[in-house]
Amino acid sequence: MSDYEIDRVKTGIPGLDELIEGGFPRGDTILIAGKAGTGKSILATQFIYKGATEYDEPGVFVTLEEPPHLIKRNMLQFGMDIDAVIKEGKMSLVDLSPSKEVTPVTIGEYPSFDLSGLQAIILNHIKKVNAKRVVIDTISIMAYKFRSRDILREEFFKLAAAITRTGCTLILTSEIPTQGQSLGVFDIEAFLASGVIVLYNEKISDTSRSRSIEVLKLRGSKHSSRIHSMRITDEGIRVWPGEISPGH
Amino acid sequence: MNTEQDVTSTEDTDDRIEVVLFKSDTCAFCPRAEEVVRETINEFGTDIFKLNIINVSENPEAAEEYGIFALPTVMISGQSITGIPEPEMLMKMILGAKVCQKKKSESK
Repeated sequence: MSDYEIDRVKTGIPGLDELIEGGFPRGDTILIAGKAGTGKSILATQFIYKGATEYDEPGVFVTLEEPPHLIKRNMLQFGMDIDAVIKEGKMSLVDLSPSKEVTPVTIGEYPSFDLSGLQAIILNHIKKVNAKRVVIDTISIMAYKFRSRDILREEFFKLAAAITRTGCTLILTSEIPTQGQSLGVFDIEAFLASGVIVLYNEKISDTSRSRSIEVLKLRGSKHSSRIHSMRITDEGIRVWPGEISPGH
Repeated sequence: MNTEQDVTSTEDTDDRIEVVLFKSDTCAFCPRAEEVVRETINEFGTDIFKLNIINVSENPEAAEEYGIFALPTVMISGQSITGIPEPEMLMKMILGAKVCQKKKSESK
């Protein structure tokens, strides 16, 4: 074996780095998949926030779903002041949520488009804050915004490549549909990323649920193959590497 | 806003219909979309339109402001269409915008 070591990006999620040889491989695309309410957005926001505040790695958070004021409010309960990090120029929160008032109503779509608009918006913010981390939360919303899924599938690959070419580590979040075995509505989510992390919030009795996390794949890493306990604490998401989830 | 504007006006009372085309340097479909938009406008008569062409590669802030991800996108009077538009669809959007404009002026 070569003694070459992959440069890794600390996740900012206590306990997670221990499962993946110290962090995500720098410049990779990582998919965080899970059903609704499993903590995908919190994990992704924590990755950006901790990157900016603890590891001197500015970040861009692109929200396609939740309005910024709700993201800020929700993260404040974990002691993460998004506004303060934005003011310091260490983070961009890009609002592409449906709540934007000036967004025109789409009345038609022809299968002859690309996502170069989204790409230009994100690359502009990467340049502005000299970002090293990017999150797109959540790509699943695109399935409701556009009908031409074949185009979107191809465009996601181009978009991820354009972002990681800048040296940024990219996290995409994806909502797992309630039916079926896929990791997202497009069925290609697992191929988009070199790393896949799945979050669960399983019912373990009539009165309780248990949160857990699984590293499904992470190219270039010897990662844990177990499903580990995860909790949403007062300080955000925390993983217990030595604790196997009771729900599995 | 950094845009190409074919017909400019400084009057506040400008009642022309604004047609906005979002395009980019890398978008392969955008040149054809621009042709379709120009041809349609010419058929109607250029004096009733104000055409704004926004190049998102140069002005990503405009795309962000309006939440435009996909290109080409044509926006007329708060409605948009993505991809190379069919002239008939543009006509419908234009006529819709004219009706809205008429209602507005009558209610004044």
